[in-house]
Amino acid sequence: MEQKNVVEIADFIARYLSYMLGAGVHTSRVVRNSKRLGDALGVDVSIHTSQKTATLTVMDRVGHVKDTRVLDIPVFPISFEWNADLSALSWAAYDRNMTLDEVKTKFEELVSKPKMNPVFVLFMASLANASFCRLFGGDIWAMLITFAATMIGFFTRQHLARRHVNHYIVFIVSAFVASICASTALTLGLDSAEIALATSVLYLVPGVPLINGVIDITDGHIQIGISRLVNALMLIVCIAIGMSGTLMLVKDSLL
Amino acid sequence: MIAADIISDGLFAAVAAMGFGSISDPPMRAFKYIALLAALGHAARYCLMTFLGVDIASASFVAAFIIGTGSVWAGKKVFCPMTVLYIPALLPMVPGTYAYKTVFSLIMFLQGISSPTQGSEYLQAMIFNGAVSFSVIFMLAVGATVPVFLLREKANSMTRGSRYI
Repeated sequence: MEQKNVVEIADFIARYLSYMLGAGVHTSRVVRNSKRLGDALGVDVSIHTSQKTATLTVMDRVGHVKDTRVLDIPVFPISFEWNADLSALSWAAYDRNMTLDEVKTKFEELVSKPKMNPVFVLFMASLANASFCRLFGGDIWAMLITFAATMIGFFTRQHLARRHVNHYIVFIVSAFVASICASTALTLGLDSAEIALATSVLYLVPGVPLINGVIDITDGHIQIGISRLVNALMLIVCIAIGMSGTLMLVKDSLL
Repeated sequence: MIAADIISDGLFAAVAAMGFGSISDPPMRAFKYIALLAALGHAARYCLMTFLGVDIASASFVAAFIIGTGSVWAGKKVFCPMTVLYIPALLPMVPGTYAYKTVFSLIMFLQGISSPTQGSEYLQAMIFNGAVSFSVIFMLAVGATVPVFLLREKANSMTRGSRYI
């Protein structure tokens, strides 16, 4: 294989790898899939990952031509659809002996699929938080208030995120907005007002990075696992700050 | 009455899992299995904690193990990697309230720092909430990963031959 071909393959694998890591796929799957893709295209792939960058070496098996690079990992919203589709792509390339051009075309097609409708997500997240309120023992009125509060809070989050506001600020503001809306339950004197207030911010909890972090740690990717957990922890601190703003206003006490 | 409690617990957990999952953009075909797994897992945890008095961390481990095993079976049907199914199904069990109460206890501790008795109470609350949230998250992820360790080959080839790309 010529240097030119190895560079071309490395270009593509770098793109594949950064899309997967950026969309919140756990590390061992990304590494495994990239190696499989390399296998399909006839090269060896070695990867070192960290939270914001990754190092990639692609080596041809016969001529020992190499290409090494450091790449930045872009920030995408978490996408399980990409996780499923790009994993399937690596198997398809492996099983069907696809050429590099075929794999590239398929990749572009998969990542440009339309995302889920934001209004649908808004509705589903509000419904989810309302049923969460029920799981914690809230009555129907508490559920309704949680539903409305989540809807307003999540709407705020979507709009701030679209304007590329810093995500810590997004979390603080949306936690504050959701909890201040839910605090109307206290004003109305509902029995389960406390539950409505406590569950109104739970749609923000970064569950996916938390679980991904522990999965990475159990797989032996301890550094990136801890990075993910620390990242999630920062977001939880932001939720608590936003919510404590409300609690200080309406209750004078946090616990 | 007990049966109704268990069923409603599973039902609301399923709605919660689908809703929180939808924030992370899962494939449409995965939704029904996410709902099913979340309902099974959450109802199992509810039974263990209410009727058998198991602690929250061990009960979460068992529930996560059920969800993880179920995702091996369901993943092959819809050609989704296991994580695509089990992470959304685990989301309703992530201990969000304990997590932010840890931060609240810290803030209250700092506010009551001049009074030693009050201060130590809040410090105790912080360690309590922090320990519960950390161990539950840890047990959830480990419990769901155990089937992956047991079935290496099968678990890593869920998307092989996918009809959806």
